[in-house]
Amino acid sequence: MSPNLAEENLQTIRTLMERSALYRRALAPIMLFAGALGIIAAVIGLLLHLDSMRSFGTLWLGTAGIVIIGAFLIARRQAVQDKEPFWSPPTRRVGQALLPPLFAGMFLGLIFAFVGITNPSFITFFWLLFYGCALHSSGFFMPRGMRCFGWIFIGFACVVLCILAFLSPNAGISAHWLMGFFFGVLHLAYGAYLYLTEKKILSRES
Amino acid sequence: MNPELFLQLDRVIHEKGRLAIMSMLAASPELSFTEMRDALEMTDGNLTTHIRALQQESYVSVTKSYQNKRPLTTCSLTASGRKAFADYVNLLEQIVQQNKSI
Repeated sequence: MSPNLAEENLQTIRTLMERSALYRRALAPIMLFAGALGIIAAVIGLLLHLDSMRSFGTLWLGTAGIVIIGAFLIARRQAVQDKEPFWSPPTRRVGQALLPPLFAGMFLGLIFAFVGITNPSFITFFWLLFYGCALHSSGFFMPRGMRCFGWIFIGFACVVLCILAFLSPNAGISAHWLMGFFFGVLHLAYGAYLYLTEKKILSRES
Repeated sequence: MNPELFLQLDRVIHEKGRLAIMSMLAASPELSFTEMRDALEMTDGNLTTHIRALQQESYVSVTKSYQNKRPLTTCSLTASGRKAFADYVNLLEQIVQQNKSI
């Protein structure tokens, strides 16, 4: 066995371990898609004055549903292009990690929206919190700071709660602005960051 | 260069197919037979033969169960398999380092 072969073997081991353990679908297009839809939904909400709990919940839960379906289709298309199995063990683990907090957040949103227990700003806090937890738990099977991104959402959720608690729930902050910033701008920013860094890594590897 | 290092490499793991199986299992708590077969593009017979060889060395444990009334075979690394794999990777790294220092 030549030393070069030893190096090749190590590279093969590394690739196979990554394939087995990490979700490798490119996240940048999914993040950009989610961010763009988040901003569009916020603009629609602000322009049409969808401020009642029911209209707010319908708009944002509908947007979340479209984002989930879109993300699924983007990931599937990438898997087909790369000739890799879509429902691979890492994809399954990421799905399992995302499901409980996302389900809890959406269920809470549905109940709050259609029973009218609270106001839109408070539901923003819950959604940020649950979404941050979902990202953080999925980050154990993903590269590139997904857990940090989850912590950012959790941190912002706490900030939103503090603002609501100390400035009263109707402090003049539109919940659409909050949702647009957190679910729109943050996703766009993270998508742009991933897009640039992935491009760099790809050019380094080729 | 020290040829001793080459001779110390575990022959069971060193085979290409078995090395691939060990690498995948080292990064995952357990994997099903079909997941490994699809990921490594092996035939059922080929994968079975390699897993059996690794089982004989007690590197891999195989569990048979049922999922949705269908048989499910899952494989995982044993403690000795994990150690053997770590030793193998360490040796490879030593060989590469030795080559670089020449």
